[in-house]
Amino acid sequence: MNVIKLELLKLRSKSRGWLGPILVFILILVAFPLTLEVSNKDLGQSFFSVLWIAMLLVMMLATEDIFLEDYNDGSLEQFAISNINLSYVIGVKIFIYWLLIGLPISLLGSVFCMGITSSTYLAIYIFPILLITSYIFINVFSFGNALSLTKGSVLGTLVTLPLLLPLLIVLGKVVISINLNLNYLGFVALLLGVLSIIIFLIPLIISYIIRAHLE
Amino acid sequence: MYPKVKAKNLSYKINEKKLFQNISFELFPSRAIHIQGDNGSGKTTLLKIISGLTRQVKGDLEIKLDKSLCFLGHKNALKQYLTVEKNLYLLDVMGHPDLTKHLTQFGLDRSLDINLSNLSFGQQKKIALLRVFLNDSDLLILDEPCVGLDHQSQEYLCTFLNNELTLGKSILFSSHISLDINSEILNLNRQI
Repeated sequence: MNVIKLELLKLRSKSRGWLGPILVFILILVAFPLTLEVSNKDLGQSFFSVLWIAMLLVMMLATEDIFLEDYNDGSLEQFAISNINLSYVIGVKIFIYWLLIGLPISLLGSVFCMGITSSTYLAIYIFPILLITSYIFINVFSFGNALSLTKGSVLGTLVTLPLLLPLLIVLGKVVISINLNLNYLGFVALLLGVLSIIIFLIPLIISYIIRAHLE
Repeated sequence: MYPKVKAKNLSYKINEKKLFQNISFELFPSRAIHIQGDNGSGKTTLLKIISGLTRQVKGDLEIKLDKSLCFLGHKNALKQYLTVEKNLYLLDVMGHPDLTKHLTQFGLDRSLDINLSNLSFGQQKKIALLRVFLNDSDLLILDEPCVGLDHQSQEYLCTFLNNELTLGKSILFSSHISLDINSEILNLNRQI
């Protein structure tokens, strides 16, 4: 519980860390309808592509220094020698990022969905998908950032981008299934299945990567 | 009485360069070891090996602790964008009965609402040292703990560490500054 409080205090105090990505997300979704000269119907159809890509890029941006700061100031060293499990600390850190960035972005994505597609039904159905997807994105990008921790570049994150391509394909199918009233819950279950594996596996892998960097 | 740290023939090399080899020592309760050596002789690496952050290339290391270890390295593990008070909260020392005493001694009792980035290097080191002063460990590992400290604070640290030894704790430290701590010397220059 203490680790959760501490991580929350750290991210909350660093407004550029959580507010910046949310503002970028808003900016992209506000700019999207302004820069397209198409009918409302066409706008609604292309909205979801922009939504997924905006979320992907914003999560990449948000997790840029998820471990870098703690690595540079020695906090990770202290975590590594403490009695607390390092993968637990990493899991908590990812959860806090999702809570302060992923959750508001999911809410905003749902609101924008309602505004642009004029469909409350679609907005309600897309909200849980956004929640799960944002958590998966944060996990995967955190893994990428851990890989390139000492390199100081986004190379590791870029390497992990292809891992998310199947997820983007699934997200496209989800929108079709909602529109056609098809197997929506099946996709939710699939995404939850992916998340349930990732949520345990990635913090564990990251803890080994970080220990290797600390050596 | 068993040693808290028992090192036998520890060796470490980076690529093919031997940093140190065949280091052996035992650290018993109420004892301190001062690790000495030139720059690049492997003092920090040896301390990191004992704290479990790095693995030795060769040799055996046994550590038997009843509680935990307290490590203070070159990095302070403090957040520059937070106030002193919030950093103390991060260090998990807020509410400790001895906190005010140490803060007053270091002249930081009226700086709680100041951002860490506005403090001098020495003052930041003092905040980091509170991790050591308010520890609940039986092994203290300190890497150059006196860097940046004024003479008065160095003396205060030495008095504190000598007192910790009387409480049965063990201390392993490296320092280029001569410290008045009852300790044995382990010189890494003579080990290659």
